[in-house]
Amino acid sequence: MTCAEFQKALPDIIDGGGTEDQQKHLEECKVCADLVADLRYIAEAAKLLVPMEDPSPRVWNNIEREVEREGLAKPARRNV
Amino acid sequence: MTIAKKILANGVSEHEAIERAQKGDAESFEALYGLHKRRVYSLCLRMTGNTAEAEDLTQEAFLQLYRKIATFRGESAFSTWLHRLAVNVVLMHLRKKGLPEVSLEETLEPQQEDGPKKDIGTRDNVLAGSIDRVNLERAVESLPPGYRIIFVLHDVEGYEHNEIAEMMGCSIGNSKSQLHKARMKLRDLLKQSKAEKAANRR
Repeated sequence: MTCAEFQKALPDIIDGGGTEDQQKHLEECKVCADLVADLRYIAEAAKLLVPMEDPSPRVWNNIEREVEREGLAKPARRNV
Repeated sequence: MTIAKKILANGVSEHEAIERAQKGDAESFEALYGLHKRRVYSLCLRMTGNTAEAEDLTQEAFLQLYRKIATFRGESAFSTWLHRLAVNVVLMHLRKKGLPEVSLEETLEPQQEDGPKKDIGTRDNVLAGSIDRVNLERAVESLPPGYRIIFVLHDVEGYEHNEIAEMMGCSIGNSKSQLHKARMKLRDLLKQSKAEKAANRR
């Protein structure tokens, strides 16, 4: 298997593991092995992106105003 | 913690707050906003890369929630249902703005027969251990919008390709190939930032 053939199948290899042939190429080719390691690392690192920021208080103020305007419910009595 | 056990600031469980909000209780709706605002906002922010747009979309998502909460039947977790609603709000907005379509024609660029670029595989060049949250956050922000959306939906938010294909109106294969391109682009961006950092240290 060539690097080009291997890399064509990368999306399935990264998320699925790959066939026996692809695994063999992975063991033998450092360039492709590093590529796979990086892509798996990126997919894993995405989990670092936990929600960190709250929206500005004006978002709730606008929601409250719009809810009142549309008559969706009685207006809330306090702010978040 | 299970949803039923989440206790909100006003002393009721999330489940109770949902039931009350479904009957139009504004205070319970506000409590639900308090519980979910951060994740919804963060989703909007990551998908658009723009604070003002993310605020508008968070507002729109919760207004839609207000209008639709009576139709929530509990088949899925409330947070799952709300998030799907928020994703749809963002996608609708991006489509109106001219979201770059995920083209069905697009396939992975063919590699030369003699293999990949040789500069990508030297051991000092692997990313492992070099990415922190801020780095990654910046790199995701600078992805082209089409790639960013797929990456956020799949790798950050945890949606499956079949769900993304349904939401985006594209094929599963297309979702997979776009995700792959997004990760490849991120790899380039992260390597670049790693090289810049190393150069600054010299």
